[in-house]
Amino acid sequence: MKEKEDKITEAKKVSGVHGCVECGRCVAACPMAEMYTNFSIEMSPRGIIKKILMGEPAVEDIHIWYCTECNAGADVCPQGVSCRDLIRALRETAIDEGVIENAKTCTSCGRVFVAVPVENFVYGRLQEEPANLFNTLDICPPCRREMYLVRNA
Amino acid sequence: MREPLTKQDISFGLDDLRPRVKEKKTLRDYFMPPRHPSILFDPDKCTGCGTCEMICSTRNTKMVAPSAASVKVITDERQGKNFAILCQHCRKPLCVEACPTRAITKGNDGIVRIEKLFCTDCGLCTLACPAAAPIKDPGSEEIHKCDLCEGEPLCVRYCPESALTFTRGKFFRWIKGLRWAVQLISFLLLVVVFIGTFCYFKAGEVTLSCPTGTLQNIASSGTIILVGASSALALLILTILAGRLFCGWVCPFGFVLDLVDKITPKKLGWPAFLKSRMTKYGVLAGAVGGSYALGFQAFCTICPIGTLCRSYGVQSFFRSAELAIVPALAGLEIAQRRSWCRYFCPVGAVLGLTAILRLIKIVIGAKKCKKFSCIQCAEVCPVGIIEGDELREGISPNIPMTECIMCMRCIDRCPYGAAKIRFRWQKVTPGEVT
Repeated sequence: MKEKEDKITEAKKVSGVHGCVECGRCVAACPMAEMYTNFSIEMSPRGIIKKILMGEPAVEDIHIWYCTECNAGADVCPQGVSCRDLIRALRETAIDEGVIENAKTCTSCGRVFVAVPVENFVYGRLQEEPANLFNTLDICPPCRREMYLVRNA
Repeated sequence: MREPLTKQDISFGLDDLRPRVKEKKTLRDYFMPPRHPSILFDPDKCTGCGTCEMICSTRNTKMVAPSAASVKVITDERQGKNFAILCQHCRKPLCVEACPTRAITKGNDGIVRIEKLFCTDCGLCTLACPAAAPIKDPGSEEIHKCDLCEGEPLCVRYCPESALTFTRGKFFRWIKGLRWAVQLISFLLLVVVFIGTFCYFKAGEVTLSCPTGTLQNIASSGTIILVGASSALALLILTILAGRLFCGWVCPFGFVLDLVDKITPKKLGWPAFLKSRMTKYGVLAGAVGGSYALGFQAFCTICPIGTLCRSYGVQSFFRSAELAIVPALAGLEIAQRRSWCRYFCPVGAVLGLTAILRLIKIVIGAKKCKKFSCIQCAEVCPVGIIEGDELREGISPNIPMTECIMCMRCIDRCPYGAAKIRFRWQKVTPGEVT
C-alpha cells in the first residue's frame, strides 16, 4: 500500500506537470467554462496544476471533481502536460483515501463512473425529458448496454 | 465618448459561436414528413461475429481495431444472445443536449454527427444516451459515434447474416388522408344532409339509433321497444367487429374536436384529480339514472353529438342555448387532446363496454421499432393510451382496446411497421412483432 504522497508524486510524473509554463491555454480550451456558472480559478486545470506544484492539499478538495476528463487541455498544451491524467490520478487517490462523497457509483455494478458535478450538469441539460430516464442515468455505460441487451434481445 | 463596457457586453459564449439550430416545420413536412435514415437490428439473426465492429473501425481509424468502432457487439453467454449497440439517430437526441461544446448536431437529413473539430472526447454523450451508443475507445480515449457512413453504411453491406438493415422508413401515409375524408363525409352526412340522424334514423324498414339514447329511452319509459333496441345494435356490432371505429372515424363531434386540436397545438394539461377514465362510465350511469328519475332522456338534451347533429338550419342554429355545449366542450381541447372522449363521453362509454367483446387488437412490437429514439406512436395517440415510458424501456406497450378509438394514427405514423392490427386470438410471433 503506497502512501498518499507517493501517489501524488507518481501522478505528477505521469502527467508531466513539471513542464507547465502557466500559459493558460488549457483554461481557454476547457469546456468547464461553458458548463458551470461558478467556473473559477480553483477548478480550472491551471489552478489545480498550480495547487499540486505548490504542494497544497488537493485530494480533499471538491474542485477536482468538476472535470469531465476530456482531452481538450492536453491537445492544446505546448508542453505536453496531460491535465486529464493528473486529475484522474488525483481522483483515484481521493477514492483510496476515502473521499468519495463526490464520486457517483453505478447502481448496478458499484463502479465509480462519473463525478457528481458532471452528473448534475447532465441532469440539468436533460431536465425536460421524462423522469424515468434518470434511472438509466444512474447506471454506468457498460451496464447500460448489458441492460439494453437483456431487454431487447 | 464611448460608454464603458458592462459585463453583458463582454460575455461571449457558445450561443454566439455555435447557436442552436431551431427546428423549422414547413408545409411540406406536414404532408410528406422527412424520412430519416437509420439502421435496424434483428437480434435473432445476429451471430455475434463482430464483422460490423471490424469494418466500422477501418473507416474510423484506417486499421482493424474493434475497440475503435462506432458499433459494439455484446454477448450474453448464458442466454446465447447477441446484440449490437448502434446509434439510433434519435428524433430528439439526448447527446445533442448534453454535449458541453455543441459538437454533436442533427443534420437536416436526420443523421446525428460528431464534428471532430469541436469534440473534446469528454464522454458526456455516452453518459446521456439511454443505450450508451457513443463508444469511448479505451486505447486512444476517442469517442466514436455512428454517422451512417453518410448514407451507405458499411456494416450493413458486410454483415454476413444480414442482421442489420438500412431503412428510411415508410414513404406514404394513406390512412391519414382516408380518415380525414371519411370524417368529413360522415360529418356532412350526419349534420347537414340527414339532420339529426345520429340519434334516430329511419328509412323504410331500416332503423338505426344511438345506443346511449336507447338506454335512456328504456330507463325513462320503462318499456323496451324492440325496434329501437335492435336498431341500436348496429353500432354495437360495428364496435365488436372493428373496435370503437365510430369514435375515431365517424363521430361528428370527434371531427370538430380534431379540427380544434389543429388550431390549438399547445396543450395546457389536465388536472390530475380529473384524470380518471372511469368517469365516463359514471356519466353513463348518471345519464341512465337521471332519465329514470326525470322521465325523459336527460343526457340527450345536452349531448354534444346530438346537439351538433340537430344544429344545422336557420331556426335550430339560433336555438343556441343548446348549441353552446359544443364550443364549451370543444374548448376542453385546450387542456388535452380529446379530453371529452377520454373522460366524459357516455356514448364512448357504451362503446367501450361493448369493446370488451372485441375481435381485433392493436399491437405495437417494441422489438421491431426504435424505442426511446422515436415514440411517435405515443405522441400521436389522441387518447393517450400508448405508454411512452414502456416503449422507452423496450417493452411492448399494452393497449387497452376499451379506450382505443381506432383512429389508427399509430399504425399510420410508425415508420417501421411495428404497429399492426391483429385478431384478438392471434398470437404474435416474436420475429414479426412483440
